[in-house]
Amino acid sequence: MNQLRLTEDEQDCLQELINVAMGQASDQLARYLDSFVYLKVPSIESVDADSLATTLDQQQSAMAVVSQGFFGYEGIRGEALLVYQDEDSERLADLLGYEPDELSKDEQLIDISSILTTTFLNVFASQIENQISYSAPKLLPSRANSLSEHLDQLTFNWDLALKVNINYQVTDYSFNCNMVLLIPETAINNIKVVLNRILEEL
Amino acid sequence: MNPAVLICDDSNMARKQVLRSLPEQWHNNVQTAQHGAEALTILRSGNIDILFLDLTMPGIDGVGVLQGIQKLNIDCHVFVISADIQPEMQSKVLGLGAKEFLRKPIKPDVLHANLEKHGLL
Repeated sequence: MNQLRLTEDEQDCLQELINVAMGQASDQLARYLDSFVYLKVPSIESVDADSLATTLDQQQSAMAVVSQGFFGYEGIRGEALLVYQDEDSERLADLLGYEPDELSKDEQLIDISSILTTTFLNVFASQIENQISYSAPKLLPSRANSLSEHLDQLTFNWDLALKVNINYQVTDYSFNCNMVLLIPETAINNIKVVLNRILEEL
Repeated sequence: MNPAVLICDDSNMARKQVLRSLPEQWHNNVQTAQHGAEALTILRSGNIDILFLDLTMPGIDGVGVLQGIQKLNIDCHVFVISADIQPEMQSKVLGLGAKEFLRKPIKPDVLHANLEKHGLL
């Protein structure tokens, strides 16, 4: 099973849960950057598990990926990837205004990614009455195939990649990144059950 | 006399969450809009007493609706209900005439307390 196959109501419900989660993640980002973040409606798409690695690997020479595992109850678990094109991670470096020092630039990228991932998932989880813990975030080495190698090492089989396209505009700067959530089928089924419970309560 | 209510949000679920939080007897006088332009059309033509307004919407967003309300001199109570909870955004919409900023997802008791605060319940 590679697709979410959501009804229109389920899709709308998931989108709204994601909007709320994104709003709070942006608020945290704004505090971190001491700036204001213009929020757009994030677009969501599900990506075929097989094609994801291939697609991302092709782009990887020009991108940075920060990966972080997450674990909740009832089979909710997965791996969150924050994917930045190089020009966007450079812009982020400008925005933060620090010296051209490789180490600190990487650390900042990991920090920002972790703020976005954990705030987003905490808020998302609280809305579906779950609670999430995390492994340490890690910046993948920038060389060919490092993403596929990383995905091969994951300790669970993921069936679906939920890609949330995020665009942040921070005053004069704007940067884009994709948050890709890799989740196993049990987690997808659990999310669907909860979406329907929420819809029934309305 | 129950107030005329307009709920503007691009999410069907979010509109239902607001509707569910309103007093039962208000329900037959509630209209909905899926985006800012639709809301402004309804606001122009009808006598809306209370508007519940989302901010992040495609096309004319919540801030655009608030600016439209000021420009057109429309008299109604606006409660912003949004996921964009940044302090700067909150003060911006209050500066544009919104009565309150309420965070999503909206809870019935929070909505009631705020309606009461403004003498609408």
